[in-house]
Amino acid sequence: MNRKCETNKRKMENRSALFNLAFLILSFPVILSAVETTLSMELWPRYTLEMKEDADELSESQFALKRGYFRIEPKFNDKIKGRFNLDFFSSEKSQDGAGIKLKYAYLDFKELFPIPESRVSFGLIKPYFGVVYDWNYTTIQKSLEDKEKVIASTDYGVAMYGYIPGGFGEYALGMYNGEGYKKTGSKVNINPAGIVNLRTIPIPGLTLGGSVLYEKAGIPDTLVTKYTERLLYSAIGHIAFGPIDILGEFLVKNYDDTMSQGFMVMPILKLWQLTEIDVDIVGRIDQWDKDKNIDDDMHRRVIGGLNWYILRDEKGKPLVWIQINGERKFYEDKDKPYIDELGIQLRWKFVNKIKG
Amino acid sequence: MNKSRLLSFLKVAGVISLVLLSREILYADSNITICGSTTVLPVATRAAEEFMDIHEDVSISVRGGGSGVGIAALIDGRINIADASRPIKTKELKVARERGINPVANVIANDGIAVVVHPNNTVTELDITAVKAIYTGEIANWKELGGSSMPIVVVSRDVASGTFEVFKKLVLRGAKVKDGALMLASNKAVATTIAQTPGAIGYIGLGFLSEDVKALKIEGVTPSPETVKSGEYRLARPLFMYTNGKPKGLVKDFIDFILSPKGQAIVKEVGYVPVR
Repeated sequence: MNRKCETNKRKMENRSALFNLAFLILSFPVILSAVETTLSMELWPRYTLEMKEDADELSESQFALKRGYFRIEPKFNDKIKGRFNLDFFSSEKSQDGAGIKLKYAYLDFKELFPIPESRVSFGLIKPYFGVVYDWNYTTIQKSLEDKEKVIASTDYGVAMYGYIPGGFGEYALGMYNGEGYKKTGSKVNINPAGIVNLRTIPIPGLTLGGSVLYEKAGIPDTLVTKYTERLLYSAIGHIAFGPIDILGEFLVKNYDDTMSQGFMVMPILKLWQLTEIDVDIVGRIDQWDKDKNIDDDMHRRVIGGLNWYILRDEKGKPLVWIQINGERKFYEDKDKPYIDELGIQLRWKFVNKIKG
Repeated sequence: MNKSRLLSFLKVAGVISLVLLSREILYADSNITICGSTTVLPVATRAAEEFMDIHEDVSISVRGGGSGVGIAALIDGRINIADASRPIKTKELKVARERGINPVANVIANDGIAVVVHPNNTVTELDITAVKAIYTGEIANWKELGGSSMPIVVVSRDVASGTFEVFKKLVLRGAKVKDGALMLASNKAVATTIAQTPGAIGYIGLGFLSEDVKALKIEGVTPSPETVKSGEYRLARPLFMYTNGKPKGLVKDFIDFILSPKGQAIVKEVGYVPVR
């Protein structure tokens, strides 16, 4: 029985990989007709060391390729551009030790509606919620909403987003499957999820914003979900003053009568603004209470580390950098041991622009 | 957080603030770094040289890269002045404000974008529609425009260029540059390529005009500082120096110098149109 399951699983993996590769090959004629195509590859090899409280031995000590993004971004004209991402990663779930998945696949239309600076994205797109859509992994750890599985980092849907004139912020309205990029077909219920997002920058250096996701299950639905009504909130605040940068987020997840709640605070000190060393010192505190009505189910995460930028492109974007993070995760339940983790990650990418 | 912890936190924050403030006071007023548009580069370079002659204790470093590169560096807080031959985009402004940067536009000159060809080319005049048709590939031979039979070699600027952005807005109006066009990184590279290629067409700032290239009349108007100033020449745009907030200290002194009669004389000598 198990062997049959494994064979089926492997077949599914092969089909998925074949689908991704076929999509890639079929998309080439379209890409070649673009006025400009940006091809880029980003790799995140990482060493991870993990140890539990009072344990005599390490629970993990290994090198792995945690992420490898192959990205194609065709620009057809001033109004239409696309993005297509394949995500490669080491995975113990795969028999080959590595996996491949589709992360982004969308077309982006500028000013499709007569609203200045507006855009419409259609396909496998960013969910404009909280900080997940512009999270660039200043810490090795994922954003709070991604880590606690409040929302997936990409999802199928359509979104309109844009910038408030004068640089006073940004907004987004979106309609999504709501189940995230890993779920398709029968794993997606019939009811869509709607997202509203607003970020304002009243004065330079101060960003205040918030997002709401709402989804109500249809009756009868095609799928038994964990909720009949889902409501997610995120409130964010960001302060940037000279070399100091502080990002804060307050997050609430409501599944019917069950409320989960947490926050993240991430201060950054940009040393290069004080010295010649191109290093950011990063700290982060997360807290997540899975169910406000239940005691002892809360956990915290404290992270400290640095990002050392070795090479940047002409616009100052990092091309080669090293991240070193120490993380301790501890639980409200005193019987659960805390977990210490050290991560050392080399991130590097290359970008090539092909003119049509 | 209890009271003693709060006090400790405030003490640490106070010390960090003092260190940052003292650094600002110590280092802010002896160096200026400028980066960006290759169109503005000749003005910035000449002005920097003359400013440093007057202020011997001041060091100014100037480099090109394109308007996009300059604005990105200003947003990143790595430079004091971003030279730009186009206005800042809304997205750039949003990112800047998010990061605590308040880009302020200082218009230091006006310029025309001259459409240039090889001096031996017999064509002397085009209208904007014809220029667009050349750049989109609809017209591919000079004989279609009354010139000799010669394929047109289209030379353009790369996407980091503010001149390209303005040309795209004023001439292409959303259309894409034809496949196979040469996309070059600077005004100088365009001028050199045109001077060496009989069938070529390109566009450069007025400051890069020389006897090696021939500027075409556009809609019957010769590109010159006079026709830009009078408003007759349609392919015109302001040139900017963006600063973080209103210029202060040494940066203000430098901008004031460029806007002074002496600075505006440099603008005129370089071939652009003074704003004062």
